[in-house]
Amino acid sequence: MPGTILENLSTRKLSILVTCLLICQALCFLIGGLIAPLPANHQNILGMVCKDIPGSQNDTSVWLYTRGKGKCNAVSQEEIEQHDVKMANQIVFVFQMPIPREGHVLDYSRWQQNLIGVLQVDIAYDNDVLVDSHAVVTIDARLAYRNKEDSDYDWKLYATSLERRYLDCQSIHVSNTERLYSCETIPLFELGSLHHDFYLLNIRLPVDTDMKMNLDVGHIHDLQLTAIYQNGGFTKVWLSLKTIFFPIVVAIMIWFWHRVHLLQRSPALIEYMLIYLGLALTFLNMPLEYLTLAFDMPFMLLLSDIRQGVFYATLLSFWLVFAGEHMLIQETGKRSAVKNYWKHLSAVVVGCISLFAFDVCERGVQLRNPFYSIWTSRVGTNLALTFIVLAGISAGVYFLFLCYMIWKVFRNISLKQSSLPSMSAARRIHYEGIIYRFKFLMLATLICAALTVIGFIMGQIAEGHWKWDENIEVQLTSAFLTGVYGMWNIYIFALIILYAPSHKQWPTELNSSNERIASEEIEFNNLPSDSNPSEISSLTSFSRKAAFD
Amino acid sequence: MTKYHRIILQLGTYLPPSIGFLDTNGNSKSHNDVCQSFRELTNDQRRICSRSQKILTAISQGARIGLEECQHQFKNSRWNCTAPPNTPSLYGNVMSIKSRETAYIHAINSAALAWSITRACSRGELDDCACDSNIRKKPRKWQWGGCSEDINYGVGFSRRFTDAQESNSSAAGLMNLHNNEAGRRALRARMQRVCKCHGMSGSCSLRVCWRRLPPMRVVSEALGSLYDGASHVKLVQRDGRPAKLRRRDPDHKKLIKSDLVYLEDSPDYCEVNTELGILGTRGRICNRTSHGIDGCRLLCCGRGYQTRIRQVEEKCNCQFVWCCRVKCQMCSHTREEHLCN
Repeated sequence: MPGTILENLSTRKLSILVTCLLICQALCFLIGGLIAPLPANHQNILGMVCKDIPGSQNDTSVWLYTRGKGKCNAVSQEEIEQHDVKMANQIVFVFQMPIPREGHVLDYSRWQQNLIGVLQVDIAYDNDVLVDSHAVVTIDARLAYRNKEDSDYDWKLYATSLERRYLDCQSIHVSNTERLYSCETIPLFELGSLHHDFYLLNIRLPVDTDMKMNLDVGHIHDLQLTAIYQNGGFTKVWLSLKTIFFPIVVAIMIWFWHRVHLLQRSPALIEYMLIYLGLALTFLNMPLEYLTLAFDMPFMLLLSDIRQGVFYATLLSFWLVFAGEHMLIQETGKRSAVKNYWKHLSAVVVGCISLFAFDVCERGVQLRNPFYSIWTSRVGTNLALTFIVLAGISAGVYFLFLCYMIWKVFRNISLKQSSLPSMSAARRIHYEGIIYRFKFLMLATLICAALTVIGFIMGQIAEGHWKWDENIEVQLTSAFLTGVYGMWNIYIFALIILYAPSHKQWPTELNSSNERIASEEIEFNNLPSDSNPSEISSLTSFSRKAAFD
Repeated sequence: MTKYHRIILQLGTYLPPSIGFLDTNGNSKSHNDVCQSFRELTNDQRRICSRSQKILTAISQGARIGLEECQHQFKNSRWNCTAPPNTPSLYGNVMSIKSRETAYIHAINSAALAWSITRACSRGELDDCACDSNIRKKPRKWQWGGCSEDINYGVGFSRRFTDAQESNSSAAGLMNLHNNEAGRRALRARMQRVCKCHGMSGSCSLRVCWRRLPPMRVVSEALGSLYDGASHVKLVQRDGRPAKLRRRDPDHKKLIKSDLVYLEDSPDYCEVNTELGILGTRGRICNRTSHGIDGCRLLCCGRGYQTRIRQVEEKCNCQFVWCCRVKCQMCSHTREEHLCN
């Protein structure tokens, strides 16, 4: 009686397969650690202060830049300090990205994928102005781009917006004449694509008494922008991994589906789930990033969120269905389908939909205005928190439910195990084998999940330690990222292989050596529900038999 | 008195870049001439200095900030970090005494130079800020793995520039080297770590962290408390081993690299001393109600004080209109000041 490959594979072959997969896993880890640089890097850019050109507040064709022909003249800190009103409404903070290094003019490469801007505000020491910890700063931000072949003054508008941001400042030092403030960073913009070579950010801080703009923020004397981009080297390594995994997973899926269709029965639910899982992984693996090298695709951040979301949702659903299909108390006569699991899966669906809604509200809107952030308004913050709390609750419910189901499976297995000694030797060996391999796979899942969590935590800690000499040879963060990515690919690859229907006949030595097995098989075959017993996974048969018992 | 501070004084004649440098006769000089004119510089330093005018600007900026911070930190003390006018040095001859004050000046200047160079790098003003991360020397490394943080370059620059002229065998040289390093450590230790999450949906599955340069005021305050707890040291030379500084009093805590050290006791800053370039506290503004060092009793060294009343005019109640008008009123108020006799 044929079952899945997992049941029919000899221990030796299984261990060879597992060893090969473990070697691949180690390779993924090492590629990330030894070849790839850190996933992301940053450049701190201190804003140069230039005098504004009068009348430019409504004219977005006016650009002030600090390098190249026609650059603006910088205003020194002393000039501003000496001015009565600190040159309010007369100055522009200019950030030209990227800044040059070692005498070379650097330019952004399309391999660097995306750009995130974070603003740091330095407030002058002054005892007269008390900066409220919830003061709001109004920023007139304008972003322009230029390419290498353009002339130095040829900046083109990318986005412009008048943004309000909370200035979360704490006074860190108070003496009788002055106080120092330490302010939280302000997220300013997120670009989903880094299509152009140079970017220019002009920031004005409009002060207006009637409109109550920027009156209670003190004298902002420095603005520092941190431009965060994905490292080109990391993108290259990541894309290479995707390029390798993509065809392999597609091939194994075709092989699997072909094998399922060789059977006379229609595919079982678990087989459908496996193919969905493979499809979700293929969607995640698809090396779409190659397209960004040629086309401007600002939606890549949103798309990669969606791709990851779809993959995780499918994986979580798969685990639920997997546990449910091995419940051993399955009602007979009823064909299982995904819709039988709607109660179980609702937590996944609710969680995913709320995360998707949050993502559309944040990154979706950023497609239109890269300066937008849902967190900057009260309503937006509440909305975002609602979505996130909803997703968190769903995750909790899901986890509890999954644990409950797995516990139930194990309880049923141990119940049946107690009756194993009364069975015939051959049948016992067979059942023990199935249970052992089922547990083996559960263990693999658990190890993968645990490694992901550990990898995540280690990644955070590894980066938390600052090494001054920076002589660390292994980039732990990258290693964990590629390691975890490779691990889930290998995990699903293994699942698809091991759960493919086997064409092998029932081990012959069992058939020939023990005659009693024949009668028991007859018993199996005569289960009332088994319409086509010879082609259903023996694990499922086992469960049905158990239920029948 | 170190060579570095004499150079800084000469840089004091520096004017905005459009005008350039002026020599004593008011003729303009190129930055290269300025660098070459510093006879005290080592060849290495002269090479660093001649690389660009921007570097010279950043160095002089650092020196100015160091002086400002020192003066702010000591504005209430008998010694207020001010040299008499027309002295050939920024801080006066007090630096010939290897006192706590000299220790502070060295520390704040080396920190301020690192600070100023780092900021110049972040502004994109300096062309030769490094992009290395020591390892992974690959071509096109910017595209591959980005650049290292500017503070590494700033601190390294400060080390190369200020430490170059100190000898590591004399007591004074060792003291200056120690205090220079203590200043840079005070800066580094006060860098604040900031992180930004940029993982899936903005979650913290991916995070990038960087260090933020502290305001120079924070560093000068920290060095101020190190100044209060500075260690009195002596030179210990055993044969075969390099000379080292050791604490003078074995009961005091062990010397660590971030401490300030001094060799000699401070001179009396109460009275004018033309030889040492000490201004004395005559004419200094004191606080009548304070019992601390800024109080009139201590600051005036028991000589008493006189009170003066001044009228001050300031702009106030400003109305801003975006864009771009500002209307202010003039307010005047009286201010009472106490001056030491």
